Parts: sequence; C-alpha cells; structure tokens
Amino acid sequence: MSEKRTAAEKETLREILPEVGTEHRLPATPPPAQYSIETLVPEVRQQTPAVGQRATRLDARLHGLGQTKYIDDLAFPGMLHAKIKRAGVASARIVCIDTRAAEAVPGVMAVLTGREIPVNSFGPSIQDQPVLADERVFHAGDGVAAVAAVTEQIATEALERIVVEYEPLSAVFDPIDAMKEDAPRVHPPAGNVYAHKVIRKGDVERGFAESDRVFEGRYATQMVEHVPIEPHAAIAQWDSNGRLTVHSTLGRITLGRTDLARTLKLPVNRVQVVGTIVGGNFGGKNEISQEPVLALLARKAGRPVKGVYTRREEFVASTTRHPIVMDYKTGVRRDGRILARKVRLVLDGGAYCSWSETTLGKACILSAGPYKIEHLHAEAFAVYTNKTVTGAMRGFGAPQVCFAYESHMDEIAAALGIDPLEIRLLNAFDEGSSSPTGQTLESVVVKASLLKAAQRFGWREPRS
Amino acid sequence: MKRRGSGIGCMWYPIGFTVSANPSAATVKVNEDGTATLLTGTVETGQGSLTVLGQIAAEALGVATEDVHVVSADTDATPMDTGAIASRTTYVTGNAVKLAGEKARSILFEAAAPMLGVKPDQLEARDRKIQVKGFPQRSVPMGDVARHALVVKGEPPIGTASFNPPTVAMDPETGQGKPFSTYVYATQIAEVDVDDETGEVEVLRIVAAHDCGTPINPMLVEGQVEGGIAMGIGFALQEEILFDAAGRQINPNLTNYIIPTSLDMPEIEVDIVPSYDPTGPFGAKGVGEPTSVPTAAAIANAIYDAVGVRVTSLPMTAEKVLAAIRAKRARLGVKGDG
Repeated sequence: MSEKRTAAEKETLREILPEVGTEHRLPATPPPAQYSIETLVPEVRQQTPAVGQRATRLDARLHGLGQTKYIDDLAFPGMLHAKIKRAGVASARIVCIDTRAAEAVPGVMAVLTGREIPVNSFGPSIQDQPVLADERVFHAGDGVAAVAAVTEQIATEALERIVVEYEPLSAVFDPIDAMKEDAPRVHPPAGNVYAHKVIRKGDVERGFAESDRVFEGRYATQMVEHVPIEPHAAIAQWDSNGRLTVHSTLGRITLGRTDLARTLKLPVNRVQVVGTIVGGNFGGKNEISQEPVLALLARKAGRPVKGVYTRREEFVASTTRHPIVMDYKTGVRRDGRILARKVRLVLDGGAYCSWSETTLGKACILSAGPYKIEHLHAEAFAVYTNKTVTGAMRGFGAPQVCFAYESHMDEIAAALGIDPLEIRLLNAFDEGSSSPTGQTLESVVVKASLLKAAQRFGWREPRS
Repeated sequence: MKRRGSGIGCMWYPIGFTVSANPSAATVKVNEDGTATLLTGTVETGQGSLTVLGQIAAEALGVATEDVHVVSADTDATPMDTGAIASRTTYVTGNAVKLAGEKARSILFEAAAPMLGVKPDQLEARDRKIQVKGFPQRSVPMGDVARHALVVKGEPPIGTASFNPPTVAMDPETGQGKPFSTYVYATQIAEVDVDDETGEVEVLRIVAAHDCGTPINPMLVEGQVEGGIAMGIGFALQEEILFDAAGRQINPNLTNYIIPTSLDMPEIEVDIVPSYDPTGPFGAKGVGEPTSVPTAAAIANAIYDAVGVRVTSLPMTAEKVLAAIRAKRARLGVKGDG
C-alpha cells in the first residue's frame, strides 16, 4: 500500500507525523484539525438581525467531518461494558435468578438483578415500570439482570449463563380484549384501563339529529419504532466522594437527573447528567432506561460502565408509538358543514404508562381535527397490554388521529360529491375559533396552509 | 397499470404538553468584547435547536448568530429545562432565552445611557451596537459597553430568566380548559402512483405548507419538514412491529422492519405559511413534530383518489391495497384478477 501513496499524501503524512516518518500507523486520536475552522457561509452567521437567517448549524461541520462525539465515541480509563438480559416471555412470575455461573466468567466484574435496585420503579406520571423486573415480567423486552465486563463480548456471553426460572402467567395482547372485565390483569389488582379522557362540547346527539347525513368509520394504526440512528447509550461513573456522573443520550436531562436520584436514593446534587449530541430522539429518549443499571454496576465494579443498546433492544426494550383503534361518527349538513362528531379512541398502552397520559390527552384534544364542530364528544382510553411499552413519539397520538379524521373527511366529501379542498375550507378553524376544549384560538392559519399547498400543488388542475 | 392520485392531509398541533408544568430557564452572559454565552438545559437531538436558541439570544442582544456560543445539557452547569420534547424548544426554551437576553441587555443599557447622554429606555441594541432609538448614528459598539459594564461599573451583564406557558387545567368531566398556549397548522398534499395489479404505492411528490409562527431559521424548518415527511411515509406504507402469539416481536431488526431510505423519498416542496404568534419569541411557535403528522393521511387519500379504495388501517402495504382493489372488483362484478 505504502508504495501507492502519492507524493501529496506522503507530504501530508509527514506534516502530521513529523517524528515518525511516513511508514507508521496513524495515532488512535486524530491530530488537531488541519483545515480552516471558519464556516462555509460566514456572511450568514455573521449578519444581523439574527432571526430569520438561514444560518448554518453550529454542529454541521463536525458532523460532516465525522468529529461529533457520540456516547460510543467516549471512553474513560478502566471502563467496562454492560449488557442487559431480556426476559423473552411476555408475562411471568420470576421464581429465581441464578447469576453464579455468569459471575464466574473471567472478565465479568459485576452482575446486577432487580432486587438490588434501591427504588425499583420509575415513570413520568405513573411509576409502574421497574428498572429491572424483580418479581414479575410484564412484557418480553423487560430486563431481568445485567452484567458489566471488560468487553462487550464477555458481557454478552455471561448473559447466556444467567438462569432465570419463570412461572408463566396469563397475558393479554389486544387492547380491546384487555378492556373486558374478565381479561388478565397486566398490573393486578389494578384494572387494565389506566387513563381516561373525555371532551364534551355542545350536545352531540342533538347535532346528529339536526344532520342531513351521518357517517361512521373505524380506523386503526400500528406500533412503530423511532429508529434513531444512534441507539440508547450512556456511561456511568462515580468519583471517590460518591458523586455520580452519567453521560447519556437522554433528551430530558432535568427529569433524568430526578429519576436517577430517586431510583438510586441519592440527593439530587450528587447526580450529574451530561447530555451529549444525540443521533436522533423523536421522543424515544425522554426518560431513563438503562442509566440506573449502569450506575449500580459501576458502583459495584468501581469502574466506569458504558451501555449501548443493540438495534434489537431499540425495538424490544425502548418505547414505541401507540397503536390506536379509532371510531368516528360524524353528522353533516348536505353542503358538507360538520355539525357533530363522536370519537372513541383506544390506545394500546403496552406494559407501562410511560408518556401515555400525554399521548392520550393530545390524541383526544386533536381528534376532531382543525375544524369548527359545535357538538363534540371525544373519549379516549389508555389500556395496559403485555406488549412493548408505548410512549412518547413525534406527534404524541396526532399522526394516528390525523389519519382517521382526514380519511373520514374524504369519505364524507366523496359521498356528498364535494371536492376535498372545498370541504376542508368550509369547516376549517378561523382566527378566534373555539377549540374542542373551549380555548379561543389565535394565530390560526389553517385555511392559508390549505390554499398555499393547493396552489403549489396545482390542486385539481387538469393533468397533462 | 399504474394509476395516479392526489390527496390532502390537514392538521393542527399544540406546542408543549399538558400533564404537568412545562418550564425552561436560561442564562445569557455578555462577554467583554460583546460576544455572548448562552446556557441552556435542553439537548441537541439533531434538530438544530441549539442554533435556533443561539439566534434568539443574538436577536435579543442585537448581535449576530456567530457571536453567541451555546453551552447545553449539563445538569451541573446549565439551568433546568423540560427538555427536547413536544415541539416546545423554540417556543418555551426560546422564550426563556429571549427574556434572559433582554435582562442582560438592560444591564448594558444602564451602562450605555450615560455614555450616550440619554435614558436607558431610549436605547436599542442592533448590529452589534447600542444606539439611540431613531438616531442610529449615536451609538457605542457592544464590546465597549460590555467592557464598561464589567470593568468600570462592576456590573457583569448577565441575565437569567424562565418561562412556563400559561395554561388552564382541563375540567375532568367536560375537558374544557386551555391545555396549550398555542397551536400550529399545516397541510400536506401527496401525489402517488398505485399499481392496480400489485397494490404497490409509490409516493411521487409531497407539497407541504407548514405554519411555525416566525421561522427563526427557515433552512432548519425546511429540514424538519423533509425529515418529518420521511418518517410519515414509513408510518403510512412500510413500518410495523409484528408480534407472535406469545407477545414476542418477530421483526426487531432493520432487515424485516423496513424504514424509508433516501431512494424512497419523493420530491418535496416546502412552504412556510406566514404567521406571527405574539406569545412566542419574535413570533415563533414550533415545527418539529407536526411535520410527520399529516403525511399518512395525505397518502391514504391519494390512494383513494387513484384507485377508489379506502385502506383504513396502517401501514397501507401493497398486500392491503391489492386486497382492497380485489374486494372492490368483486363487489362491482368486474371480471379478471389483474
């Protein structure tokens, strides 16, 4: 290879590594940048006023040069690697966990189970989620034990040697089934409906009675993952005063610090959370996940501990988007004006509450669409199932209900023989319209957005 | 054969969330040369929020984007923040940054007033200068004022402020209340080709007209819209986590769970709808999440327009579309399977 280097490359190498010549390997850490650190379009970043400028991002150059430090690029002296064992069964009682064989693997420095976690529960509104399952498994992606070892490979191998004995329990996977009285309870003794929201405005039955036509439809959406490029990742380390520092991909470090202090029973001022630049969040990194596990492994081992989720763990162990079953009933006048709407939403809440209450609230409020509807009754339920936990994801229930109310709108338009653009313009909010919750809306530009998009698209112009 | 159709998806979306209070705090420090440092507890998750917050701080101080260095996301060093969630950063954290910048600026005005022989309320900060309103030629460079405040007056120009959107709790029986401070609105129109022999849907073009209040950085708004549409297309046509009968995922990998790639992306045309929200920083609201909200709806309606079938569950896979086409043909008594 070395013979093939051009003269220019040899020259560059000599500049970078004057003391070792051209035939040695590059150092592990890159040398200081050899290029100008000025931005490509300085005139934009240097202009005033600043607001409204198409200023290049502060981090764009580092991304482009591959110099952004994500968690997996960070290392601390003596750092270990953690792996978490996933249950693989959706609903079971944990009879016993035998970690002796894993502890005996050379290179394993610490093993952790749920019973060792000072406060083994967390959650932004209901603290129903264990950090590691201890007595019961609620979904197949639950962590049941964790290992810290000198390499990822050893940690993964040691997980195989942890033996967990389960007593299978009945499970429920369909949210509509889970609402039935005799359904298996995911978190007994509580029922499976763990959050409920209602919005009532006007008199929906009177609205239907006054309508020329009434349309009904059921719509459903699926469970999806955020799929960020960077998976959940964190590094935990303690100083000799017993103060914890966690570098993490968390998007909410203030809440993360509170949750870490709570689960570890530490004063808040003994926990530092440092958020790194994150390779995508989309709502999936809004609460702690493996951070308390890494912290406890680090304390046991006396060394920094890094954990990076595998792609499989991103799917099975992180939060996902709520599937929603959505029933719509809408009363309209012959001219397309909506008079009344009744909506019933059932959110598959998965095994834990997570951000379901926020999702439920937004889905319920938004479910009527950006339209003036005098008589409205929307009702929404979040239901436990023994499935992957559903939580915050870009739109919090809005993409689901938008699929329903906009599909429904076009069905109504087609049945009445009205153009889809016309029926929306007829019903859309105006400045000062009243929202489903009775809020007077300001800076409303629904019609402007419809007209702008229609103009740009060439809506209903003859096709060439 | 391929049949072309177009469909509209229109939406509204709130800024922030409802379950609890939703505050952000920020600190702006003006250095001796008129550059500044912003401390914020939010996290950059790839959306460009730190650039936007820097622009807001710069605007409040009358300096350029480049002049503000942003320090973020360290619970030891930066103030409390509800975080990078719920399309709230530009609006909520942005308001806190603007207020913090204005507090620092007021210290500069106190220092500059005697230098210019006017009262502090007669001053404005623009173009890296502090100048008399209506008389821009009577000005002092920002750096001179900052140095004077720190070194002569002994009053470091530092401002700290917080912001929490005003809301009214919803009545539990009727849901009436003011759950969010403000909302954004958007329309996307999709053009698709549907192959009526295979059910395959190809998204050709999406036109997106989004309201975000004042676009603090129009380029980043466009980036959000394009990214949101990519996510919306996956939600509409491809992505689904599948489970076996025992509740275990059967496709937890990117081989069997297919997300859109750059080759799946249609032509996208973005318009920012003119709007100004007096409660937002310099009129801004937000744009992050809404961009992926109406995409699936627009595609569903475009499929109906193309082949006359309504798929009521996502994802609208080729199998589902083809089954709906066949069911429609059977209903109408059309012969043939193709």
